[in-house]
Amino acid sequence: MTAFGKLFRTTAFKLTLVYLVVFSLFAAFLLAYFALNTRRLINEQITTAVDEEISGLSQHYNRGGIRRLLFVIDARSRRPGSSLYLLTTFTGDRLAGNVAQVGEGVLDRSGWVETPYRRTEESEDAAYALVRVYQLPGGFRLLVGRDLEERERLYAVVMAAGWWSIAIVIVLGLAGGFLVARRMLRRVDGMTETTRTIMAGDLSERLPVVGSEDELDRLAVNLNAMLERIEALMRGFREVSDNIAHDLKTPLTRLRNRAEDALRTASSDEDYRAALQSTIDESDDLIRTFNALLLIARAESGGASTHMDSIDAAEIAHGVGELYEPLADEKGVTLKVAAEGPLAFVGNRELVTQALANLVDNAIKYAGGETPSEIVIRSAIDGARVRLEVADRGPGIAAEDRARAIERFVRLERSRSEPGAGLGLSLVAAVARLHGGELILEDNAPGLRSVLSLPTNGPALPASGRSEEQA
Amino acid sequence: MRLLIVEDDRDAADYVARAFREVGHVADLAADGEEGLALALDRSYDVLVIDRMLPKRDGLSLIGELRAKDIETPALILSALGQVDDRVKGLRAGGDDYLPKPYSFSELLARVEVLARRRGGREETIYRVGNLELDRLSHRVTRGEEEIVLQPREFRLLEYLMRHAGQVVTRTMLLENVWDYHFDPQTNVIDVHISRLRSKIDKGFGQPLLHTIRGAGYMVRA
Repeated sequence: MTAFGKLFRTTAFKLTLVYLVVFSLFAAFLLAYFALNTRRLINEQITTAVDEEISGLSQHYNRGGIRRLLFVIDARSRRPGSSLYLLTTFTGDRLAGNVAQVGEGVLDRSGWVETPYRRTEESEDAAYALVRVYQLPGGFRLLVGRDLEERERLYAVVMAAGWWSIAIVIVLGLAGGFLVARRMLRRVDGMTETTRTIMAGDLSERLPVVGSEDELDRLAVNLNAMLERIEALMRGFREVSDNIAHDLKTPLTRLRNRAEDALRTASSDEDYRAALQSTIDESDDLIRTFNALLLIARAESGGASTHMDSIDAAEIAHGVGELYEPLADEKGVTLKVAAEGPLAFVGNRELVTQALANLVDNAIKYAGGETPSEIVIRSAIDGARVRLEVADRGPGIAAEDRARAIERFVRLERSRSEPGAGLGLSLVAAVARLHGGELILEDNAPGLRSVLSLPTNGPALPASGRSEEQA
Repeated sequence: MRLLIVEDDRDAADYVARAFREVGHVADLAADGEEGLALALDRSYDVLVIDRMLPKRDGLSLIGELRAKDIETPALILSALGQVDDRVKGLRAGGDDYLPKPYSFSELLARVEVLARRRGGREETIYRVGNLELDRLSHRVTRGEEEIVLQPREFRLLEYLMRHAGQVVTRTMLLENVWDYHFDPQTNVIDVHISRLRSKIDKGFGQPLLHTIRGAGYMVRA
């Protein structure tokens, strides 16, 4: 498509054309109306004036006979800018007046007629006049009329003005439409260009926003917000696949090696049984890791599909406390719950419970030490946030390691000997993010205090990209 | 017990069917949703095991169709989708239990047997196993002449185990039905609860009633 063709196809240009046609029609209508009315008005003026003259002249005739009429017509004919007069006998012989000649047969009928005429004192060129023929008693015919030149001149002026205005409307309209369309086209072309780059795989590209806050800008802002979202989702996916590749391959290799080893070295049923059992255990671990990964990925890619309800943090704290109390007890750890309910907030009960359970599980794992230890699950509302915290007296995490501890699959050097896939904290962090909150690791001096801080109103909707109507 | 397994993965279906037959059940196979529906309408089964994603007609729609025709055969949904919301959707569609893939056969067997048993029979108010007695109305537990004091959760745990006396109950089933949690705690917390319960109901009474079934779960049996 040529650049010109593209221009003609733009909505802006098409709209301009439509407007142009509408305005031209309107101007033409206005012009016709004006012209016709002018004409009518002039005709009315002429007829009124002529009627008056005829009635005056016939009075003169009635009072003074043909002589007086002749005299009056003669006098009036000589005045400058006079009307047209012609008095004839019933045979049509000219008696008086300033008209030399009128159209054929005009004098034979009474009434109004438009006719070409010639004045007595003037040269050949014929003009048009609106005349009235009147039969006087005694067979005389009286013609009185007015020249139409003035009317025609006015008419011509109006028509010329009209045509000019239509021409100007069309030229200006076309030029305006062309400019508007080109401006629109340039911006749309810019957007199309960017879209192409994005489609080619560069998700970091953004549509240009000129800052005029017009409809194109609003569209660009919204599309950019959408791109932002898509990019975040894609990043999540990429990270998941990276992690899966990196962290599932190791246990899978182990699994395979063990099976291979059993096949090569096992000699008794007992050996095979043991090898198979360890294979099943290993694959169960793999499944657990995989599920945790999926959950993290889902939490990070946004929780559009996650069901959120109004739930009670105190109830969750007590539930988890009750679930883990025997385990803690067995490990020689006192597990306490300090939560006065109800502490209502919007969230997913299942996920928050799992997150808190993970924290408690971790705390119990690391609390086991020399001294009798204590773990406290605490829950409280703090302004617009609900806090679910697990405080232990274990070795804690050094300040510089805390951020790293939340990252996926990172296990701190010190805890290498403990079992667990190291997904615990990153899963908790993912659940926190899904709820629009965060996981904070604090110093419990001594020990670690893990705080799940969640907004009571649930995750906020993405703020950018909402149009003003909704806001 | 007669089962219908609707599963499009041939290998998995054959394996599960063979395993069910080994423990003495009859299992029919259907490879897609339409075939499964036809069989379920045609014959009488004790339990349906239905994969959620099937060719021709998906599992949820199959169950919906059966329920619409007033066929209330208990149905267990197998699914690769294991998230909380997916489970809720499955149960809302008329499924009676939901097991995410991959699952162990012992887990599947335990759940299917519980579903089959649940069908008939009204709920008793007093459960008895050996000389152990649990009164669901007065919340009293006695063994022989001796009254046993249980925490509320221990009571619910024992109640669930005794309701399914003689059947294997897995750890996940306990977590789901006694605690109403549907996630996998990293440590086996359930084992500790069971050993506490065991110390209360079995310790010092000679014959043990609460048994650990290796690789599967627990069972209360005289």
